Amino acid sequence: MNKCWRRMLAVSSPVLTPAFWLMAGIAGLGLVLCLWREVAGLAAATAMNDGYSWGMFKNFNVTTLTALGSGGYALGVLTYVLNRRKYHTLMRTALLTSILAYTVGMIALATDIGRPWNILHMADPFVWNPHSILFEVALCMSAYVMIALDFENLAPLLERLEEEPFPQVVRELAGYAKRFVKAIYPYGVALALALPTMHQSSLGSLMLVAGPRVHPLWQTPLLPLLYVMMAWVLGIAFVEAAVMASCAVWKRPLDMTIVESLTSLVSWSAIFWLAVRLGDLYGRGQIAAALKMDFYSRLFLVELALIAIPTLLLRIRSVRMDAARSFVALAVLMTGGMLYRYTPTTLAFQPGAGYRYFPSVTELLISLGFIALAVVGYLFTVKRFAILPATLEMSIRGAVPGQKEKQAA
Amino acid sequence: MIDRRSLLTIAGAGAVGLAAAQVGHAVNSEPPVQPPQDAVGLLYDTTLCVGCKACVAACSRANNLIPASGQSGGLYQEPVALDAHTKNIIKLYKSSDGRQWSFMKQQCMHCVDPACVLACPLSALEKGEFGIVSWKGETCLGCRCCQIACPYNIPKFEWSQLNPRVVKCEMCRQKLARNEAPACTAVCPRKAVIFGKRTALLTEAKSRIAANPGRYYQDRVYGEHEGGGTQSLYLSHLPFAMLGLPDLGTRSIASGVRNVQETIYQHGVTPVVAYSALVVLTGHFWKDLRHHAEDEADWTGLKEQI
Repeated sequence: MNKCWRRMLAVSSPVLTPAFWLMAGIAGLGLVLCLWREVAGLAAATAMNDGYSWGMFKNFNVTTLTALGSGGYALGVLTYVLNRRKYHTLMRTALLTSILAYTVGMIALATDIGRPWNILHMADPFVWNPHSILFEVALCMSAYVMIALDFENLAPLLERLEEEPFPQVVRELAGYAKRFVKAIYPYGVALALALPTMHQSSLGSLMLVAGPRVHPLWQTPLLPLLYVMMAWVLGIAFVEAAVMASCAVWKRPLDMTIVESLTSLVSWSAIFWLAVRLGDLYGRGQIAAALKMDFYSRLFLVELALIAIPTLLLRIRSVRMDAARSFVALAVLMTGGMLYRYTPTTLAFQPGAGYRYFPSVTELLISLGFIALAVVGYLFTVKRFAILPATLEMSIRGAVPGQKEKQAA
Repeated sequence: MIDRRSLLTIAGAGAVGLAAAQVGHAVNSEPPVQPPQDAVGLLYDTTLCVGCKACVAACSRANNLIPASGQSGGLYQEPVALDAHTKNIIKLYKSSDGRQWSFMKQQCMHCVDPACVLACPLSALEKGEFGIVSWKGETCLGCRCCQIACPYNIPKFEWSQLNPRVVKCEMCRQKLARNEAPACTAVCPRKAVIFGKRTALLTEAKSRIAANPGRYYQDRVYGEHEGGGTQSLYLSHLPFAMLGLPDLGTRSIASGVRNVQETIYQHGVTPVVAYSALVVLTGHFWKDLRHHAEDEADWTGLKEQI
């Protein structure tokens, strides 16, 4: 059978599955607890304190998980700037994971701040502090989620609105809108690539201001570079993992040519990241500290192993061609990458003696709820819109009215 | 697996890391921020303090803070650390063998170039009159960037409040406006903490050092240059690190962050150039991509997908 991905096609199976309800339940619980946090205050809902002032919401849901959601950025650069056209069939999956990860990240940010109503002052340029990294992150991320990502994700929605059973007037309007989107597409895409470069690097700069309170194995002027490079690695790896899992669950052919070449790219990118990371440690004279075998050194070595071992294994072509093995290697690599993004914010953060942080149950449930909410969004969208890649054969079959339902039955 | 060319590229990336690490440390052309002309401050001398904590109670009174008296059953105030109702505290340092000990006063350092002010997204923290770092609630998001940024761990947050405030020493600016000295300095029976213009305090500190050779650690005033300078100054008979005053070097943290960001953003030129380049490149390849998609649509009879 021809396994070549050529087009995007909606998954033709029912949306309301047990898995969907489970995820919706976790998300619902999280959102209820989220409302409770607004009423009860941060002390009741979280374990954050005057030493560890940032907890799961900012450090995990935003700093760590938006790196996984950087697929739209990384694949966008490959497809639109480096003209790797073969990845175009993965763009929609990438953009969907991005908009979901960022949207729940922004909700997490709004849950985290203590005086959320003052967000209104973001509209007042007179109080802006352009030197503040969090200001830049907040501005660039909002612009990305509220403008650039929505624009990029319009195409599947408009395509859907052009079809039956929508009334004639809606279909026509959608047609005009699509033509407009096509006309200004490069401007929107360029924005959607420039903004994440800025805020993904700034998420690293965010910890620069903590100065000596972040352990020297992680604190470096290169944090912005290392963070944005890791976003690139994690973004691509996560899109691959999402597509591989989706193809396995919904019995779609896996185009190993595309998957293999992306895996190769991920491992190359991770090698560059490792080179910069180790070069930086050497340049700052921290190699001895890395091998000291105290808590921080061990943490560093675990991070290094979780990133370096799968990266090197993925240099072997036969591993890359094996879907199951490369999936496992990518998952380990993602764990290591996420650990790197998370560590400076919490594990290697030293607020002084007497402070301890371990997330409270409520905090964990809210954080998990945000992730479940993104999964719910994914499950719904891939079944209602043409997102996931498919072969030409499947698309032709799917385009004939009535065929989709029969195929599902 | 890895050929020679790739190996060279990897080595190049490593060199980037190495070189950038060096450059990031060495090149910081920004002139250091100077204290404002009217800068006032506190000078605390560990050799004079007897640990009576009169200043702790006076601070709470002057700033309308509910005294922390949980352990004493409401009999007297005994906060264990700075918190949302303690802006000033006296702590005792004792070495493990008990031979070395010292009292230590903690309150805002009123840095010359404060990291908290740099970190605050909507300028809720500002360095204002007399160089005092103060908080105004109207624009505060409660994001706690100031807590992450402060190397002295000073700003505290009202975690249990629905409208939480950031609480920190503001050098009794309401009293300064009435020409009164900050509460902690006014009540100190041994003049272990004194208030004055920063320049005058530095002169006083140096004359104490000159008059008492060998009494003070390294004959140094902590805060003259540390972390870019502070307006709360310290004289200590023990190493400053033992008292929880970090070794920050002479550049402020804020200056280091500005330097990295400036290197990347070049006064905002980088994003504009990058965006323009991205528009040109994507615009160029977008045509290719569209033609390809249209061809395929014609050939397959399916709708074009963008």
